[in-house]
Amino acid sequence: MNDVAIILKRELKQYFYSPIAYVFCIIFIVLNASIYMFHFFFFGNADMRAFFSTLPLILGLIFIPAISMRLWSEDYKLGTVELLLTLPIRTEAIVLGKYLAGLIFYLVGLAGTLTIPILLVFLGKPDIGPIFGGYFGAIMLGAFFLAVGIFISGFFSDQIVSLIITSMACGFLVLVGWQYVPMVIDGWIPGLGSFLYKYVGVTRHFNDIERGVIDFKSIIYFLSFTALFIYLNAKALERRKY
Amino acid sequence: MIELKNVCKNYGLTPALTDVSFSVKKGQIVGFVGPNGAGKSTAMKIITTYTAPTSGSCTVGGYDVMKDPLSVRQMIGYLPETVPLYYDMLVHEYLEFIGQARHLNGNFKQRYEWVVEAAGLAPVLNRKISVLSKGYKQRTCLAQALIHDPDILILDEPTSGLDPLQIIGIRNLIRNLSRDKTIILSTHILPEVSTVADRILVVNEGHLVADGSFDDLIQQVTKRNSVYISVKAAKKDFQLGIKKIKGVEELEFDESTPRGVVGGHIYFPSKTDILPDLNHAIRENNWDVVEFSRERLSLEESFIRLTRSSSQEGGTA
Repeated sequence: MNDVAIILKRELKQYFYSPIAYVFCIIFIVLNASIYMFHFFFFGNADMRAFFSTLPLILGLIFIPAISMRLWSEDYKLGTVELLLTLPIRTEAIVLGKYLAGLIFYLVGLAGTLTIPILLVFLGKPDIGPIFGGYFGAIMLGAFFLAVGIFISGFFSDQIVSLIITSMACGFLVLVGWQYVPMVIDGWIPGLGSFLYKYVGVTRHFNDIERGVIDFKSIIYFLSFTALFIYLNAKALERRKY
Repeated sequence: MIELKNVCKNYGLTPALTDVSFSVKKGQIVGFVGPNGAGKSTAMKIITTYTAPTSGSCTVGGYDVMKDPLSVRQMIGYLPETVPLYYDMLVHEYLEFIGQARHLNGNFKQRYEWVVEAAGLAPVLNRKISVLSKGYKQRTCLAQALIHDPDILILDEPTSGLDPLQIIGIRNLIRNLSRDKTIILSTHILPEVSTVADRILVVNEGHLVADGSFDDLIQQVTKRNSVYISVKAAKKDFQLGIKKIKGVEELEFDESTPRGVVGGHIYFPSKTDILPDLNHAIRENNWDVVEFSRERLSLEESFIRLTRSSSQEGGTA
């Protein structure tokens, strides 16, 4: 079996054995569905704009940090990091296996929200394009946040610390992607807010994809940052040796 | 098989190992002895590629631990002090995972059956690791170190947490494995090293302070040897007969001997052998020997002397 698949299988088992993971999954689905349902019944729109507009914050502040917090922190706590890093498997393969397990678990959680578009199809005639775009964007966004989360988890043996730092990092990425936050930052340090908005903020890129505008710049943004944080995680683990 | 040359390891500003050099030949069992924080585990972590030396070099089976860590890891079975186990897994699932990660493939079933038998894990194979006793957890972890039949075994405190019967079992297992494996084991249970290891490395405050067999180490710390003898004779005759023996430095009488029996500790320089002359004196004086024994320092005593003297040298330097 491929080394990545060996680690992926083990990590995935650990997710599905853990009751906490199920609790977070249920909270994610219920929270998203209730926020959306409130909007749906209040305004009576058969679209998912409200769902996708709150998704970056819910993902960044709660769900993804909850998934990623254990990826390395738990291994530090149990001492299994010493086992993993002395197996004849490259560090990159271990990181990738762990990352993909987290991603699959996230996709399972995200799949739980598919009840909303199914409901919309039955109740009205929603525009399917933006819904597809939104889910595609949600996958990209989750993949990116998870890469940030696994990178941060590599530095802490305490899962709660890992969760809080990841929440803060993802929250920052969401906030600097909103138009008015960079404006405030620009007021303090001219140019910094605009730079962060243009190159770092996640919301602008997510909104583009969610509207159904598949801009390659946004896709490259997500893919390159995701790859960068996975790579940095492997390098940071190698660096720990010294 | 394993060679460390001038290895230093610092954790921040704190030195964990300072200029440590030693080599281990194929088939040797080496005991790593030293107080807590001496640097034993650090040396083991360097050999297993988990951590990198700050300076110096370490090769295992001809492979440099820094340049070719995967080849080194393939050759090594490692039982870390922390007993790394996934508590949510069943014992057999854990061993299967390690077997896959060690790329056993077709050979797995045979090795799995051997390791379950050798580590005595058959009764707990379907139990969750989190509910195992400390002894079974230790054995499960030992099994993961053995499952791929490695050439080299690095065992950090292998009998920690085991009951006396289990300790004997693990000792026997290590002895059986030593026929074709190179083994380095660290332990705080000092008699364990003397019964299992061919060679002992004593580490203290990051320095290698002694390297040799059990007898070599004792000679290193004892300036003189002693024997105890008690015979049926008059005290005066006994004293005269013993003092005549060449090399005797001191005779310390044992006041607890019964009436008609005289005994004492005879001290002589460690490089001198007085036994032939003592035998001759016994025959010449026609003494009836009641008790006779060669006195040796225990491993604990020699360990304390070695580590204490190295600490004092460090302190005065």
